This record gives sequence, structure tokens and C-alpha cells, in this order.
Amino acid sequence: MYELKAVEKKFPGVRALKSVDFSISRGEIVGLVGENGAGKSTLMKVIYGAYQPDGGEILIDGKPVRFSGPRDAMERGIGMVFQEQSLITNLSVMENIFLGYEDQFSRFGVVNWKAVAKAARKQLAKVKLDIDPRTVTSSLSFAQRQLVELAKVLTLEERVQGHLVVLLDEPTSVLAEEEVKLLFKLVRELTTRASFIFVSHRMDEVMELSDRIYVMKDGQVVDVVSRGAATPEAIQHKMVGRHVDKEYYREQRQKPYDAAKPLVELSNVSLPGKVRDISLTLHAGEVLCLVGTEGSGREAILRTIYGMRTPTKGTLKIKGKTVSRLTAQGAVERGVGYVPRERKIEGIVAGMNVYENMTLSQMPRYARAGWLDVGNERDLARRWIRKLAIKASSEYADCGNLSGGNQQKVVLAKWRSGGSDIMLLDHPTRGLDIGAKEDVYDMIREMCDAGVGVVLVADTLEEAIGLSHTIVVIKDGEIQKRFDCAPGSKPSLYDLLHYMI
Amino acid sequence: MDIQRLKPHFPWITLLVLVTIVGIADPSFLKPANLLSLAGDIVPLFIMALGLTFAIYIGGIDLSAQSMANMITVVASVYLASLGIWVAALCILAGFVLGTLSGYLTTRMYVPSFISTLAVGGVCFSVAQWLSGNRALNMDAMQRNETFGWMIGRTGIVPHEFFIALALLAICLIIERRTTLGRALKAVGAGELAAAASGLNVARYKILAFAISGALAAVAGLLFSVKLSGGAPTIANGFLLPAIVAVLVGGTPLTGGVGGVLNTAIGTLIVAVIRASMLYFGIAATQQQMVFGLVLIAAIALTIDRSKLRTVK
Repeated sequence: MYELKAVEKKFPGVRALKSVDFSISRGEIVGLVGENGAGKSTLMKVIYGAYQPDGGEILIDGKPVRFSGPRDAMERGIGMVFQEQSLITNLSVMENIFLGYEDQFSRFGVVNWKAVAKAARKQLAKVKLDIDPRTVTSSLSFAQRQLVELAKVLTLEERVQGHLVVLLDEPTSVLAEEEVKLLFKLVRELTTRASFIFVSHRMDEVMELSDRIYVMKDGQVVDVVSRGAATPEAIQHKMVGRHVDKEYYREQRQKPYDAAKPLVELSNVSLPGKVRDISLTLHAGEVLCLVGTEGSGREAILRTIYGMRTPTKGTLKIKGKTVSRLTAQGAVERGVGYVPRERKIEGIVAGMNVYENMTLSQMPRYARAGWLDVGNERDLARRWIRKLAIKASSEYADCGNLSGGNQQKVVLAKWRSGGSDIMLLDHPTRGLDIGAKEDVYDMIREMCDAGVGVVLVADTLEEAIGLSHTIVVIKDGEIQKRFDCAPGSKPSLYDLLHYMI
Repeated sequence: MDIQRLKPHFPWITLLVLVTIVGIADPSFLKPANLLSLAGDIVPLFIMALGLTFAIYIGGIDLSAQSMANMITVVASVYLASLGIWVAALCILAGFVLGTLSGYLTTRMYVPSFISTLAVGGVCFSVAQWLSGNRALNMDAMQRNETFGWMIGRTGIVPHEFFIALALLAICLIIERRTTLGRALKAVGAGELAAAASGLNVARYKILAFAISGALAAVAGLLFSVKLSGGAPTIANGFLLPAIVAVLVGGTPLTGGVGGVLNTAIGTLIVAVIRASMLYFGIAATQQQMVFGLVLIAAIALTIDRSKLRTVK
């Protein structure tokens, strides 16, 4: 009943969706999987009306439609349950459920809250949530909020003619196992009211819930799998487009690290609300991977080493010396480089060119008494553009206009050209295409060969396992388990998941 | 040719168009002597706008500039007799210190710069009233000419203010284009979080930007009081709006990161031409701020980088 035909979406420099066909029928649950950057979120945005496709068409019950925005799509029965929850936390549950649609309860601009509460109770009953609709949203648990979001979307049922399509974007990422089971049960029951599109990173969950699974890669739907027609491994294979083998992560290039040369030593470091009693050591030539779920404290650890956060307890030693006053400036001087997750916001400065970005962390080296030696800067940029094969028209190109992979290379060049030998990489391959990912993997191995220690927060578990010498699993801010990952005796995905959740 | 690539060229095209229009309406406007004296008259405003450029370049604003200039006219008038040439140092130091205070409040206390500078401006205004006894003060004409006469003379038809403006512009341009300070300010304006994640001491650079803004507002006040041979707590009122207009029509958006002091020079000339044309078209002085208000809104709407704004309040 809802269908996409040959839908295209282009962004400057990227074809995010390439002739995507998609359909969902009444009461169906359709899974959508793909790696980061495969085009899942773009496709979802097209489905719920946030993006308008550049080509192809959207059909509802066989008739072509065009959405001017999410609200327009909602009027046609397409609702979205957001991953980062879209509820406004200082409003009550009922206000959230009917936000923007209070007109039906108001006379002369005055809202009849009793009627709202009654209607909200009815919506909450659909998702089997027994709470007072007057409750302030911030006092609910994440699982409860998720259900309120779902209830909010289901109000469409009364407003809209025809069947509903509800998108669930990573609905399980903040839920405990029991809550996931309850949610799945509920979704199955709700198929009498709506069809669901379920997006998740967790392959097992997608396979459990979905009737059909769309597998995306590089902006295309590479396969549609019916329930039970493929193993998780086969789907994984299609997502990556090859066997996730040793070669992909350059395992053959993994050499033992220098255990006699500790670069970073954390002992009993605590940050209230973030991490507790973290002790770990990074050695020269080691890739140490922090594994955990979103919000488990991985980023806090990176930022502590980088000096952007000061722990309340514990000590940090860099190259054998205890660091007493933590600042980012100090960390840079001690040879720490930080590649943040938000590449476009924290990694590069859009609006500055390649050489300006590369020397940003090391300006004193390219200046005398505050006076910049631009010629020298440009030499450096040209050298690294060649060395890393950065696709930029020249060293004057605005970094904001480079592709993701080339931006990441500029960020890496910024630190490596300054001689940083402790590299903190937060999701360094996020949103990169496969070729660019492989370039980053090569660079990580090269850094290790040069005696650099790398603390990595990987984009996927496979990446973490493939790249690391050591894996530290973190849950709720505490270290659960440490794995040695010598080539040939690496832990499996399930070994890690067991300690993560 | 798309509009984005044309955008950086808007300021000087605007200037050229305006000069042409006014020149056709009144050919005597284009005489070199007239143009130069026009440029000379606008110099105090230009210097203030030059300072403001630093505050706006990093994505902030300095609303204290006008009150600062007011206060400095009073300070200069009061202390010229006792300090002589050193009064200049006192003025610039006061501007620098108060600018530093604004910067400190903004970066360390997390008070948005439009409030912190407004508050510091309030302090300046009050100091000016208190110091002057809320009266207009006059400088001793002899002493003014001896100490600061060189600022306001003429060489041929070129007013000396013009040289001062050029010198300050050159210094600021060098700071912006050739020093680590300028580079850091650009990074803070274009991508503050990335600058911080690169290990830059962002707070220090931001404080410096406000300090420079304060110091240049003080220079503007000093020059203004020398020109008028006196000072009063409200003498420079009516400067702030045109100065902000000058920065923005020059092409430094409120969101910062692009533009710079050369843009402000062009922007100031645009303001000067608008001002002169208003005289020509018979718009009374009392109505001029209306025009500047409208130009300001138009300039902000045209230049602001909406991709950097998530919400506007």
C-alpha cells in the first residue's frame, strides 16, 4: 500500500539513494538494515517526508503523492518514532501526545485539558501504558517514553483515513532485554492497526521481528530477504558486500605491541555520571578498543585522556608522567591527537582551507612570534595531500566541501603531521564509504608500525574486533571485561555482546 | 554564476552602485575633496566598527562600544590637563581592560556576549555620567592642539584621520591574515567546537577579541573627543547602530567566521555614502536611525549563515 519506485536522492558530492524500490503492505513488519552510511536514514527521511526525493515516485495505494514535509506525510498516515526521542521533557505526557493538534480540544483558544487527558488515556491504552497522562515526561523511564512516542504516532489512526505506516528508528537501543520483548509483542499486536518499518543495528532483533528485510548498501537496496530465508551471516555479508574477512581489517598487518612502553595509564578514574573506576593502559603500537553501547562512557574516557574533562578521582599518566592539570592544550603538547566522532562539527573547521585545518593544532610550529609562515604551511598541506591521496583541488580548498573520507584524512593528517603518538579515534569511519574506510584501516596499521598508540571507539563490533590488539568492554561506565585480540584468537561478536548488555 | 559565489562580492558592488546613484543625483558628490572629507568624518565610526568586527568575527557582539566611546570622551576631557599625551594610553588601557571583562564574563561565566557587553556598556555610561557630573566638558583648546592636533589636521586635501584609519586597518588586517591570533579567531568563528577539539585555548582568544574591540572603541572615543574638543556621556550616541551596520553590510555575518576587517572598511564606506545621500535627499538627522535600523535588518537577513543556527530566540 505504501511504495517507493526508483527513488533517488542526491546531496552535494554524494548520491545517497540510487534508484531505491521499496514497498510495504497492510499489517506487515519490514526490517531495514545496512551499515552506517548505507543510506538507511536518508531512506527513512524520504519515507516520512523530511526529504523530498530528486527522482522516482512515492505511491500510496497506487496513487502518486508528494509530501511537502513530515506533517504532510503524517496527514497521509506516515508516522515516525524517533531514535533520539522527540518528546519535550518538561511537558506532560498528554501535551506531548497532542502537541500541535490541540485544536480539536479547544474552544476559543482555551484548551479543555480534561478532554485531552481522556483522549490521551485512550492512546496510552493502545500501547498498554498505564500512567497518568498528566505525568511530566521527564519523570518517565526511557522505555516508557518510547511507548509514549508510539502512542503519539498512533493518534494518526483517528485523524487519518486509511492505513498507517509507522517507522521505528533504533527503538531498542535504550531498552533492556525484557523491555525489548514487551515492545516486540506490542508491535506484533499493533499490526492490526498499522504497518511497521523497523530499523536497527541488531541483526538478531530485525530477524526476529520482521516479515521481510531490506538490505541496504551504498545507497542501494541490494536484497530483500523473507523471514527465515537467510542466516544472519548471509545478510551481514550482503551489507558489507564481501566477507568481513581478515583482509578487510588488515589483520595480517597486526603486529604485537611494545608492552614495555606504556603511553597512557589511567588508574581508578571516575567522572560522576559518566564512568567509575576506570583503569587501563595503552602501549606503543597498540590499538585499544573501547566497546560498549551508546552512553556507556566510551567518549568520556577519550575526552578525559584528551584533557577536555577533569576526573573527580583517579590519576592519568601520559608517557610515564602524571598529568595534574588536564587541558586540551596540554594534551596536544604531550602528543595526544583526538579525532572526534562529529567530524563536521569537531573534526574540521568548515570554511577554512586544507592547510589552515592541518596546522590548527600546531600553529606555534608554523609561526615565529605569532607570525604565520604560510608558505611552510602550504608545503605541509601539499605533502600530506599527496601522501594520503586526499582528493582536494588544492591546499586552498575549503574543507567543508570535501567528502567525508577526505575530511577524515585531513583530520588524521593534522595530528600525524604534528607528530602525535597517542591517537584517540572516536568512530573514525562513521559515514565513510568502503574505500575510505579501508584507507583509514591502513592508516591505523601504519600508525601502529610507527609506534603510535591508538584508543579506538569503533563504528561496529566487527571493526572493533578486526582492528584491535586489546578490547575493553564497558557498561554503565564500568569496565566489564578485557579481551586480548591477537590475530587468530580474536573474541567473537557474541563474546562481546554478552558483556555489553 | 550562482548566488553563493557572488555573495562575497556584494559589499563592493553595493558600494559602487550607491556611489553611482548619489553621483548621478549630485555630481559635486564625486569631487575628490568631498569624498575625502566624507571619509575623514566617518573615521571614528570606522574605528569602532573595526573593533566590533573582531567581536562579530568570532560569532559574538559588542554592544558596549558606544558607551565605551562615550566614557572615553569624558575620560580624555577630564585627564588631558593632568596627563597630557599619556591620556591616550589611559584611554586605550581602559578600553582593553573593560573589553577583557566582557570577554571574561562571556567565556568563563557563560553570559552571552550581547548581555555581558550591554552590562559593561551600562557601567561605562554610568562612569561617564559620574566623572563628568553629567555635563558636557570642554578640552583646553591650546593643550588639545599641542597634544593631539596632529590627529585632525590636513595634508593637502587629505584629512589626517584618514591616515590613522589606514594605519589601524593595516594593523588589523595583518593580525587577521598573518598571525596565529587571526587564524585562531577565524577558527573560533567558523567552528568553535573544532577549534577546541584541536587544542586551541578558545576562551583566551575570545577574551582577546573582546579586548581588541574595547580598545578600538576607546580609540574611536578618543579621536571623537579630540575632533569635538570635548566630551559628554551621550556625545557618541547614534554610533552603535551604524557601526554594526558597517560590519554586517561589509559581509561579516553575525554568525562569524567569514568576512573581516577589509569588509568592514567597505561597509563603513557604504554607511558613509548612505549618510551623505540622506543629507542630499533631505532626511532629517532625527530620522537617520530609522534608515540604519532598516538597513541593519536587511543586512543581517542577507548575510547570516542559517546553517549555523539551530533556533533563534
